[in-house]
Amino acid sequence: MNPTHSPGHCRPHEHLSRRALLKGALATTAGATVANWGGIFNTQAVAAEAAKRGKRCILLWMNGGASQLDTFDMKPGRPTGGPFREIKTKLPGYRMCEYLPKMAQQVDKLGIIRSMRTQSPDHPDGIYHMHTCYKQSERMPHPELGAMVAKYLGKADADLPSFVRMGPTGNAGAGYLGPRHAPFDLGRTGALPSFTSPYLPAANESRRSDLWRFMEAEHRKERGAEPFESHRVAKERAWRLLRAKSLFDTSKDWPAHEALYGATDFGRGCFLARKLVEAGVPFVEVGQDNYDSHADNFVCHKANLQVLDPAWSGLLTDLERTGQLSDTLVVWMGEVGRTPQINNRAGRDHFIRGWTIVLAGGGIRGGVVYGATDADGRDVAEKPVSEGDLFATIYTALGVDPRAKHYVGTRPIWATPEGSKPIKELLA
Amino acid sequence: MNTAAHLLCAAAGWGLALLVSAGAAEPPLREVIDGHLASHWKKSGVATAGRASDATFLRRAFLDLVGTIPTYDEARGFLDDKALDKRARLIASLMADERYPAQQAQAWDLALFGRNPPNSDATRNRSAFRQWLTGKLARNEPFDQWVRALLLAEEDGSELFYVQFQNRPEDLTEVFSRIFLGTQLQCARCHDHPYSKLTQQDFFGMAGFFVRLVSLDQGTTGSGNQQVRRFRVGEKRSGEVLFAGNMKEAQPGRKGDPVKPRFLGGAALDEPALPAGFKEPEVKTGTKSLPKPDFSRKEKLAEWATTPANPYFARAAVNRLWARFMGRGIVHPVDDFGADTPPTHPELLDALTREFIAHKFDLNWIIGEIVNTRAYQMDGGGPAAVTPPKHFERARIRPLTAEELQAALRTAGGTPADTDNVRNEYFLRYFGDPNNGQGDFQGGLGEHLFLNNSDNVRNFLRRKKGNFADSLLLSTEPWEARVDRMFLTVLTRLPSAAERAKFVAYLQSDTKPEPLVEEALWVLVNLGEFRFNH
Repeated sequence: MNPTHSPGHCRPHEHLSRRALLKGALATTAGATVANWGGIFNTQAVAAEAAKRGKRCILLWMNGGASQLDTFDMKPGRPTGGPFREIKTKLPGYRMCEYLPKMAQQVDKLGIIRSMRTQSPDHPDGIYHMHTCYKQSERMPHPELGAMVAKYLGKADADLPSFVRMGPTGNAGAGYLGPRHAPFDLGRTGALPSFTSPYLPAANESRRSDLWRFMEAEHRKERGAEPFESHRVAKERAWRLLRAKSLFDTSKDWPAHEALYGATDFGRGCFLARKLVEAGVPFVEVGQDNYDSHADNFVCHKANLQVLDPAWSGLLTDLERTGQLSDTLVVWMGEVGRTPQINNRAGRDHFIRGWTIVLAGGGIRGGVVYGATDADGRDVAEKPVSEGDLFATIYTALGVDPRAKHYVGTRPIWATPEGSKPIKELLA
Repeated sequence: MNTAAHLLCAAAGWGLALLVSAGAAEPPLREVIDGHLASHWKKSGVATAGRASDATFLRRAFLDLVGTIPTYDEARGFLDDKALDKRARLIASLMADERYPAQQAQAWDLALFGRNPPNSDATRNRSAFRQWLTGKLARNEPFDQWVRALLLAEEDGSELFYVQFQNRPEDLTEVFSRIFLGTQLQCARCHDHPYSKLTQQDFFGMAGFFVRLVSLDQGTTGSGNQQVRRFRVGEKRSGEVLFAGNMKEAQPGRKGDPVKPRFLGGAALDEPALPAGFKEPEVKTGTKSLPKPDFSRKEKLAEWATTPANPYFARAAVNRLWARFMGRGIVHPVDDFGADTPPTHPELLDALTREFIAHKFDLNWIIGEIVNTRAYQMDGGGPAAVTPPKHFERARIRPLTAEELQAALRTAGGTPADTDNVRNEYFLRYFGDPNNGQGDFQGGLGEHLFLNNSDNVRNFLRRKKGNFADSLLLSTEPWEARVDRMFLTVLTRLPSAAERAKFVAYLQSDTKPEPLVEEALWVLVNLGEFRFNH
């Protein structure tokens, strides 16, 4: 018999993103919690359903600023080249750093921008600028990339936050987009923030919530204005989030993924990011410390890259394996590049005249190396890319209008500055 | 004195007498306001809300005027009062309450600094400034006078408005113009304004008044949370802002030309030349004071800004005060008077401005008139989609500020101040700025995780010796009466029959009443009805 769909009986995947989940939970007796999220979400049906929900984005944030010369834009044999050797990649003719061997095999998935020319040379301003595509000195409350993605790709009635980040990450928050799109900050390996542990036993919590709902329903008859509604929705979200709490716990499934991502905090963060986007979170940022190698650049990078290589390539592999890579944009960047000149402490300082950012996955054409620096990497030789151009490319790949208009008071503000252009060559 | 002069004086005196007698015959401003609004509603066919219940009005007036909710006794007393003039009497007594100037100072502080003022080292602890301003408001010093003192920044505690913009005369220009002139100059900082007549010359002309200000660090006093960094504001005799043309065409290294100060929409400043051989005193780290210059730009600005003849000052002020109580400016947003934001009620705005000046910028008088209107005392109910109400046809709904929420929790919980162990910074973090860029309320996840799971909130609600939960548990009254007391204490109203029945059943649903009382109180303070001033 061809099973028909009767009202009141949902197919499992419909429990995913909507209030159906909440209703399902409410129908059970007081204190019952939603079934094991990990279990629900690791099914193929669910992945297919999740894919329908539009694009998502994972930002791998290289805090301090990774060196382009010791990763994707090597200058072997030049005075600026440094001691690292090149290795062949999957892309004929393109070579990259020996300490990223796994990523070298994933180059067919990458859009590599070697011609970033940016404006903010230091950490706080650079972190702000590379998260918002606007200058910090304007003193305008610009939202971070994650908040913008949360606004346009998040669902108001989702059970999980729309913007999750962990480790060293951005510093701007939701800005003028407001608290609905504010980041939800996890610890480095996914530990939940303050105030996510109920102080009441589950049964008390549940009867208390029911009494609250009764009162709100009474009140709603008289007062339906938007602020009241916004209050109700946010309260329900806070409860749903706690019911989905087990999703943030990777203790059970991490051992099976440790080999793929590497046994590091950053690797585990990448794995959690993969789980979260699969569960419908549209934006996750994972930060890796610390690339600010003013001294001993090569020691620093060798260590960091060996953490980065399995984590990043593991993430791409895992996204592909679970059918999510085509909908998940993975961005690799930091706030600055590093100077071609090697200083007298074997370090490299901050550099914004020509550095590298890498995109992969959803909406991006793989196997493309865009732009170039000159022979010693001292400046962009062709196709300079600004912060605005980068963000326009990211937004376009995600299906967000780069010229979306917002207001701060009466002043109009756009998602990217005037004149920003998406890089067509990188868009799938 | 010659005859002609005598005549002039006599005529002037007579004119004054006429003005006074005419004033006496005029209806009070509250009636003028209601008259304007009524004719506007009639003309545009706007349906209006009814009069707010006594309970609703009571809560609203308490929050707006003294920054917290009424206690049970205050609520009971007001609701039981049968006198017809009880609302007017309540308003008068709240305005005489010692919490009133502090609450009004808090509102001005938020306008002048926002939640994240620049120069955070200096502005984090603003207790000295608030004390200064609260003192002014407690004496009901006329608005023009205390603003003049603020702009001169010579009184102890008054300096911080300038200090937040140390070495940023352009930022100061934007904020000064927005708050005191109701004019948005920031567009003209980078380019001539696309929609108005404002040009970059207007912007830099105003910035010229601020460019010579210097913040002089006086060191810190106190320690820990009480640590305050003190400043004095000095003024140099030389120095100009430089104007380098449209920002888009800016070239590195091109510094621009000096711009002379000019009053917005008015004349250039008439400034005497520097005295021969003048040498600017050096300002170094550790410089504590500067000699007063023989010509002070800030004095000229303070004088121009606050004179009754200034076309912006009084209008911007009444519009801001109106919005504070009515939820929306007659010009909206409050600080954007311009061609594309015409006043919704131009004659009303004229009347408010005129009367505010005629009453010598008396803040208490005009606030009293506004909150005594029928318009302020309307209901805010209904499934209204448009907030704030464009025609003032019903009351606005505004979220409680972080400070009000904390005070209201303290009142509701019967918690003596200083015993609640509450971390103020959490309240600021989760309730400090609940709006998006356009001022619309947004409920955030963080706010609710905090309300749901934090001891900082629970401390107000759980049983402690002598607090409200304790008194409910010790009481031998029937639960019906205790539920009434809970509602009146927390929500400033009595429960409906259904609510009463539900709560009575809830509170008896288990053998241990203590957790139930705490949970029921938690429910009440977590309602939208508690979260907003409506």
